[in-house]
Amino acid sequence: MARIKKVLVANRGEIAIRVMRTCKELGLSTVAVYSEADRSALHTRFADEAYCVGPAASRESYLVADNILDAARKSGADAIHPGYGFLSENAKFVRACEKAGITFIGPPASAMDAMGEKTQARTNMIKAGVPVVPGNAAPFVDVDEAKAYAQKIGFPVMLKAAGGGGGKGMRRIDRMEDLDGAWRTARSEAMSAFGNDAVYMEKFLDQPHHVEIQVFGDTHGNVIHLNERECSAQRRNQKVVEETPSPILTPEMRAAMGEVAVKAAKAVGYVGAGTVEFLVDAKRNFYFLEMNTRLQVEHPVTEWVTGIDLVAWQLHVAQGGVLPMLEPIAPRGHAIEVRVYAEDPSTNFMPSPGTISYVRVPSGPGVRDDSAVYAGYRVPNFYDPMLSKLSVWAPTRMEAILKMRRALDEYVLTGITTNLRYLKQIVLHPEFVKGDYDTGFLPREHKTLLGEEDKALARVSMIAAAMRAHQRAEKQQATIATAQKPGGSSHSAWRSAGRRTGSWKKGA
Amino acid sequence: MARTTKYFARNLAHKDEVAAELEVESLGQGRYAVTLEGHTFELESLVLPHGAVSMIVEGQSFSVEFDEKGDEVGVLLRGQLTRFDVADERKLRLRAATEGFTVEGKQTVVAPMPGKIVKVFVKVGDVVTEGQGLVVVEAMKMENELKSPKAGTVTQIVTREGATVENGAPLVVVE
Repeated sequence: MARIKKVLVANRGEIAIRVMRTCKELGLSTVAVYSEADRSALHTRFADEAYCVGPAASRESYLVADNILDAARKSGADAIHPGYGFLSENAKFVRACEKAGITFIGPPASAMDAMGEKTQARTNMIKAGVPVVPGNAAPFVDVDEAKAYAQKIGFPVMLKAAGGGGGKGMRRIDRMEDLDGAWRTARSEAMSAFGNDAVYMEKFLDQPHHVEIQVFGDTHGNVIHLNERECSAQRRNQKVVEETPSPILTPEMRAAMGEVAVKAAKAVGYVGAGTVEFLVDAKRNFYFLEMNTRLQVEHPVTEWVTGIDLVAWQLHVAQGGVLPMLEPIAPRGHAIEVRVYAEDPSTNFMPSPGTISYVRVPSGPGVRDDSAVYAGYRVPNFYDPMLSKLSVWAPTRMEAILKMRRALDEYVLTGITTNLRYLKQIVLHPEFVKGDYDTGFLPREHKTLLGEEDKALARVSMIAAAMRAHQRAEKQQATIATAQKPGGSSHSAWRSAGRRTGSWKKGA
Repeated sequence: MARTTKYFARNLAHKDEVAAELEVESLGQGRYAVTLEGHTFELESLVLPHGAVSMIVEGQSFSVEFDEKGDEVGVLLRGQLTRFDVADERKLRLRAATEGFTVEGKQTVVAPMPGKIVKVFVKVGDVVTEGQGLVVVEAMKMENELKSPKAGTVTQIVTREGATVENGAPLVVVE
């Protein structure tokens, strides 16, 4: 296989930058693609070359294979890294790359076909002897079929997108009355995320753990696993906190799950980085959930405890290299990652796009921040609301928790609402500290996690707020005094005060 | 302007609380005396280029970031964001004069975030129940169904499918 010299990253945001960083370290040229809404995005400015691939909506830009391939041809890129999401699990795109003579950094289209369509993957896994969660074998034709099936297996059930994962197009349904609404939103969400609105149903396992195994294959038939990630801390079926090792896994379970994951990957001829997701029930039985045929968002925690640069391995394997390691390796120390989102936890995690006025990311020993934001950056409302992945490493789990608390205290991001405080409450929570938390943890503890106000801090804050108001008034006074423009001021304090209405209690 | 000014600050997280009274006196060179509930704090402040303030109060160091929208002052301190409504006496009088414009019984459902309207389930004249889905707003790849805040009749629809809306834009009126 030819040596790669120039890599086009068919993605945006933090993952585009993450991939380009390794490319730069390896002396490879980098090419960014961007939508019209991302002209000012960091990844556009970070790469050596950048090409616009269409309007803001991802369906008209990042998801248009032809536009991406055009950019690759124009730039002379010999390889495409898809990141996660967008075209990363699209077998048609892989074939189009092949046809264009461009190396796709990821698994072969055949492996994607076998794992990509979720109902097909389940069937393949059953054949390979891998345990799966009970569910239906093909996507539903219509809502009535879904209703009949739900009736048959009994509530609660999960309605899921057949075309992809990542919590998009996924709904938990507890009652028949909710099925119509869930059917509508799940399908339209699946359509916009994966270009495929097919959905299927699985029995909802009651508060399982979500544990996944990182696997890696090369073109010589070798597949190894690089241990697990515990991803049970989820809100709206999306991961918020990930850690490795999983606090609930014994070395025996790790070995058993690793073996099954390798078997699953081998069954489909897997090459490159992939993740086999499992649900683990209270009795510690584990079931295959799905395989993500791409680099995972939460890959940094695996990098922390294995010392491996997974993107460097992806590039190595894509050029026909043999895996640098063929035996499983024991994890070293403990790593935790949190996802910083532009969202408001107190309003059911409503996204909160807007302009970031100031950002200061944490640093210091054992801290890593993967982000693509800067002061003055306007977070567009067309894409995923994730702003940053903050990860830490320490020799033990407790030390890693303490380090994460410290790092979160250092994180300053103003101008838009974020979940930073919510994240801090998670790593403070006794259930998290204990380590035996399942996917019901965040919803169950939602109120606690919104956090009690620290009264002493609120008091100091109030003093600061009054001081600020006073400073502003002083400044305004000074401006008026020097300007001496009677009636000509464009900004009148009286006028803006008059515009405002507020609800003040009696006695105020 | 008088060197001492009285301010009223209300913590927006506590809806039912009355505003606290604070007296702020400028001592010059970034120094202020702030009196709250009978206790006077002397503080020294240094305004940094990006607008944040380093504040030293009785020897304790606080790094404060502000997030301001009109009279609303958001204070980010050691990871805690507290929002206040701050006004001086003059503003308070103005507000009292302009209050009382909310119409009882009529509810306007507004866009809780900037986004795209992907679905409108109702039309003018529809009778809706409390909690019934009215519209679906898509923002950042997530779809959010907005529900009716009350039982009533849809009297107005101010948006359409496919429309791009700003935060706070009125969408549907239920009466």
